[in-house]
Amino acid sequence: MSGFDISMYRDMFVEEAEELFESADNVLLEAENNGSLTDEEMGQLFRDVHTLKGSGASVELAFFAEFTHDVENMMDKLRNHQIAFIPEMAGTLMDGLDVMKEILQMECNDEMNREKFTEMTSELLVTIRAYINAEGASSLASVKEVQAEEVKTVEKTKETPSSNSSESWGFFGEETANDSTESVSSDENFGFFDEAEKITPQSKIEEPIKVEEPKVEEVKTTPKATTPASKVSSKKEAPTKKVVASTIRVNLDKIDLLMNNVGDLVITNAMLTQYSTTIKETKVRNSVLERLELLERHIRDMQDSIMSIRMVPMESIYSKFPKVVRDISKKLKKKIEFKHEGDSVEIDKAMIEGLTDPLMHIIRNSLDHGIEMPEDRVSAGKIETGTILISAEQANGQMIITIKDDGKGIPGEKVAQKSLENGLIDEQQMATMTDNEKAMLIFGAGVSTAESVTDISGRGVGMDVVKTNITKLGGVINLDTEIGVGTTITIMLPLTLAILDGLDIAVGDVKYILPLSAIVESLQPTSEMIKRIGDGTQDLLMLREEFIPVVRLHQLFDIEPQHTKLEEGMLIVVKSGTTKIAMFIDEFLHQHQVVVKPLDKNFRSVEGIGAATVRGDGSIGLILDVMGIIEAQKKSESLHADHREPRKRNLVAS
Amino acid sequence: MKLLIVDDSTMLRDMLSYALNEGGYNDVVEAIDGLDGLEKASKAQYDLIITDINMPNMDGLTLVTELRKLNQYSKIPILVLTTERSDDMKTKGKAAGATGWIVKPFVPDQLLKAVNIVLTK
Repeated sequence: MSGFDISMYRDMFVEEAEELFESADNVLLEAENNGSLTDEEMGQLFRDVHTLKGSGASVELAFFAEFTHDVENMMDKLRNHQIAFIPEMAGTLMDGLDVMKEILQMECNDEMNREKFTEMTSELLVTIRAYINAEGASSLASVKEVQAEEVKTVEKTKETPSSNSSESWGFFGEETANDSTESVSSDENFGFFDEAEKITPQSKIEEPIKVEEPKVEEVKTTPKATTPASKVSSKKEAPTKKVVASTIRVNLDKIDLLMNNVGDLVITNAMLTQYSTTIKETKVRNSVLERLELLERHIRDMQDSIMSIRMVPMESIYSKFPKVVRDISKKLKKKIEFKHEGDSVEIDKAMIEGLTDPLMHIIRNSLDHGIEMPEDRVSAGKIETGTILISAEQANGQMIITIKDDGKGIPGEKVAQKSLENGLIDEQQMATMTDNEKAMLIFGAGVSTAESVTDISGRGVGMDVVKTNITKLGGVINLDTEIGVGTTITIMLPLTLAILDGLDIAVGDVKYILPLSAIVESLQPTSEMIKRIGDGTQDLLMLREEFIPVVRLHQLFDIEPQHTKLEEGMLIVVKSGTTKIAMFIDEFLHQHQVVVKPLDKNFRSVEGIGAATVRGDGSIGLILDVMGIIEAQKKSESLHADHREPRKRNLVAS
Repeated sequence: MKLLIVDDSTMLRDMLSYALNEGGYNDVVEAIDGLDGLEKASKAQYDLIITDINMPNMDGLTLVTELRKLNQYSKIPILVLTTERSDDMKTKGKAAGATGWIVKPFVPDQLLKAVNIVLTK
């Protein structure tokens, strides 16, 4: 295909394929559970796989298209009731989809060849073809196969007497009948629909081309054989006219741009308002201000509408899980039921990416370590089948996602022991911790209680990554576990990444915005609360038996502050993960919602600054990145590592 | 010339648009399935419609049948995209009232040739 950048379209296809696979997998999962397939589901399955084949072939994924063709064939037969659905077929078809995924990946990476293809597909193809040929419609099936072969032979015998043998289209119309009858030969890739009789002479043309091939004779029976069946299928498709709201795909960047534009509008509005207050004539001033207020309200409505565009239902995350649960529980020989609630609860699209992996990891952990083997469950007096429930709800301006299993729970003692070995906690801390607090330590780095490492989870990396990812999204993760009863993990997230609740803080004459979600508490310290350690540059805040390192923001950002004595200013205790620091500032001002804007790439990234916003008066406000500030603090700490060593452990607050 | 392409695959819509644009057809509107296609077609007049057959919500052949019922599309050329060249497809395509067919995967030159023929006859 000259002029086409296939690789670009391939990327697009891979993305599209992922959705189609997911859709087909879920239909099949349902079918496997229910032991039945509705006509509608069969239709959808066929369409999904058909699109995969067609699009795959369009981006020149020959192996992929070749194998998909067989899977499609089977689905076509199911759809047309030429073969009856039996529950085992769902498994075979899912295996088929898995192989398709593998082929797709390998072919995209240029790792595919005929040998590998045969190795990967031959076994499954035997099963699939056996199913295809199983039921009474064996004559039809053989016709289909012959058809398929015929297409191949046609491709091989590319040269035909006809002038434009390479055509890939055709017409059915009468007007073009005269000039198209000779041009439209059997291997045309296009054609025009002619009168019914005209088709027969056209198809006769193929006879002289391959008279030597005996199979062609069989092909001739095709129209008679397939017509009755086709009538059945067309009847079925036609009445299912579902009224579905039409949707379009829009790049998230475009919505962000729109959001930015509205942000600019807010600023312009604020400037206008400010300017209007200088109008001398009271009557004019008041009516202008009144109208500007109206404008502001409209802009706010618009902001809300744009936000709602970014929202997608949780379903789009959930749909990835059933297949994983099925595959893993099969592998582990466990019986697990996966339930989900709150499918229609909406979440910011920008969060989905960051949220899918952590949730997947938590579910894998539950599958692997949480839910027990069926026999263990029975002997523990539980029902054989374990349950994993994921639910989502919006409450108090937050998104709350819960993953609950009825497995064996997390052994806090074991986790704490491991954390102790890894130096995450000390013995004294361990002694004062509750079982649940101990279990919470699995969010620390390198902690896994699994006796053996499996390929599903248990390498001890993961839960800490889960926590980091959730923190990155501005969220909080919590855990509640009871031995023998189960584990519940709760994730609380802001509703959107685009707007956050911030607190204005002042250092010297600079104002920063601190995300409210990071704040633990704020206080004006007394001198007894401050301990100076090391070479005298590091202060520690002693708060309820806990030592919290103090970070002087004016030092970090190199600003002339109003106060240099800690007792005179304010300390705000912030938290990221399990680490707390106390930020020293001059004062805190008011709290407000800000529209988060990423810092332009042409700004050098500054440690401790995460993003920016535009304030009502048009000035730029910088949003503090608490995690970054903690990192900076850790770095300066390790510079003085030798002085810090004795108390380093205390820094990690539980 | 105003063209409408109907396909549920974003990628194929992109490929079709690209090929048509290269061929000098710049006014190309996309629809994501039969229903969307029908709605778009009834809101504006198109000179040619190219539609996929297998689509959710409304398949391509139903779309052709529905379009042919409308006065404004009784004579407008409609091409269907198909993965097979079977007589069965030809019978159904003709019965629905389509003008012609194009095999998927399509070659841009071939696509343009078919389009040029239906638009100039």
